[in-house]
Amino acid sequence: MSTVSKFGWVSGVLALGAGLAMGQSSDVHGSLKIDFPTDGPVTVMMPMTTDWGQSKVAARGGAMILDLHTTLTLRNSSQRRIRGVTLLVLAQDVTPGGKGSVSVPSLDIPPGETFPIRIDLRLLRPVQGAESLPVQVSLDGVLFEDLSFFGPNRLNSRRSMTVWELEAQRDRRYFKQVLERAGNDGLQKEVLSSMGRLSDRAQPGVQIVRGRATNFDSERELQFAFLEFPDSPVVPIDGIARIAGNEARAPRLEIRNRSAKSVRSLEIGWLVQDQLGREFLAGSVPAELNLAPGQKSQVLQDTALRFPDQTGIKGMTAFISNVEFSDGHYWIPTRSEISADRLQHVLAPSPEEQRLVQIYRKKGIKALVDELKKF
Amino acid sequence: MRHPAESVIALYAGGDLGFLEKLRVGHHLRGCSRCRSEVSRHRAASELLRAEASELPAGLNWDRLAAEMTGNIRVGLAAGECVGELKSSRTHGFAWKPVAAICALSLVVTSAWWLNFPVEQRETLVHNVSRIWNRTPAHLPADRVFLEANRAGIQVKENGSAFTMMHPDATPTVISVSTQGTIGARYIADTGQVTITNVYGQ
Repeated sequence: MSTVSKFGWVSGVLALGAGLAMGQSSDVHGSLKIDFPTDGPVTVMMPMTTDWGQSKVAARGGAMILDLHTTLTLRNSSQRRIRGVTLLVLAQDVTPGGKGSVSVPSLDIPPGETFPIRIDLRLLRPVQGAESLPVQVSLDGVLFEDLSFFGPNRLNSRRSMTVWELEAQRDRRYFKQVLERAGNDGLQKEVLSSMGRLSDRAQPGVQIVRGRATNFDSERELQFAFLEFPDSPVVPIDGIARIAGNEARAPRLEIRNRSAKSVRSLEIGWLVQDQLGREFLAGSVPAELNLAPGQKSQVLQDTALRFPDQTGIKGMTAFISNVEFSDGHYWIPTRSEISADRLQHVLAPSPEEQRLVQIYRKKGIKALVDELKKF
Repeated sequence: MRHPAESVIALYAGGDLGFLEKLRVGHHLRGCSRCRSEVSRHRAASELLRAEASELPAGLNWDRLAAEMTGNIRVGLAAGECVGELKSSRTHGFAWKPVAAICALSLVVTSAWWLNFPVEQRETLVHNVSRIWNRTPAHLPADRVFLEANRAGIQVKENGSAFTMMHPDATPTVISVSTQGTIGARYIADTGQVTITNVYGQ
């Protein structure tokens, strides 16, 4: 057989193989459904401003895949400034109960202005019975400058956006104080220090798993230690979690409301110390409860967290990271409380602190000073 | 230039070749004077034999001649049996090629299929095959991980299906986990806009 005909054979076989494996791509536009209230404070610009980029639907291997990359342009149709928006992304035909969200905190959008929100997602499901992969994007909530809220709040986005906004106010206030006290040089030093903390921060890959570990490590109980903030309205009293190898599951924490107001919900930060003494933020333990002043309650979650292999869990610490009162007010730790040496290197900066640092990084100290003066 | 075998030339001269072989040899003869003269020689010999055959002596015993020819053919067949190894090796040589081609084709198709198989389904497939191989009881969950952050994004997965909020062009600066079954990723654009994505397990 000549070289040319051999080459032809090999090419044909490869094309056949690739064709069998890759399947066909098709149009993605029909998969996305945008469902915004027509009389809401945020409207999608029509015709819809989208950049479909690399979006595609394709049969691949034994599965159907939808890659969706798009940008929605939204307009503030209200009379107030918008501070945050959360979109709900639903694809329940793909994973039962599976949903996602895209939030944009630290905004300052005046009435009539537009802003973009980018959505990048991938859905995968076995081909059997998959005629299409529908995705529905709707509004979950909008937070305004006066901390009022609009939206169905199916994801409890009111709480998370309010906490982000309170953290934003706290951190802007702190940077302004630094500017007043130490001028541009002092502010620059503070921003550089924040950048350093973010890059030094350990962030191991944590997975959420179901049920008990099936490895041969025996399970043991490990007691939580506590970090107590002087002005925290709720204090942790006792707590344990079950440890097996590199997994920690079923955290159980006892808390007491020491404030004069009823508490509706709270969030507890969970720090883990490994066998080398390194400490990192494993996750947060949120809880919805109704805790009257002076009352105790238990927070129990049946979830298991898996840390990277070879992680030996030697210690755990819990602290109250935010509290929502029944009257709609919130408590968050002060800047000096989170700047304590131990927390400074494990806690992530607030979204607003990251935004301000990014302005410095891209435009310099003058732009940052101008930005702080806007508020 | 590669010339046809002497036997092929002889068969061509006698008009006893198959259609394709006849075309091939004919094509060769158009450019090869040596083989053309061989063909002419065979044809001349054939003519001579035909002329002599028409003058066969009277009283020839045709029955005896036929019996001798049959005997010679049998001797030839028996001799062929003696070189059975050669026959056997030729049979193997003939069968090996299609088997090798089918194996190569299967390898290419399987490799292409496997490489294009989505990672999530590949993991489930490997897990299930190993479970069958190790005879692990079926009541154990196929894959205990259902929420994770990986290179592509943050993901919730269930029975080979997956929902991934993908990392945009930027690397996430913060990954957060909530024990209520939520995993989140935070990104910051050059413009300073912060985006936080979350996926929620059931």
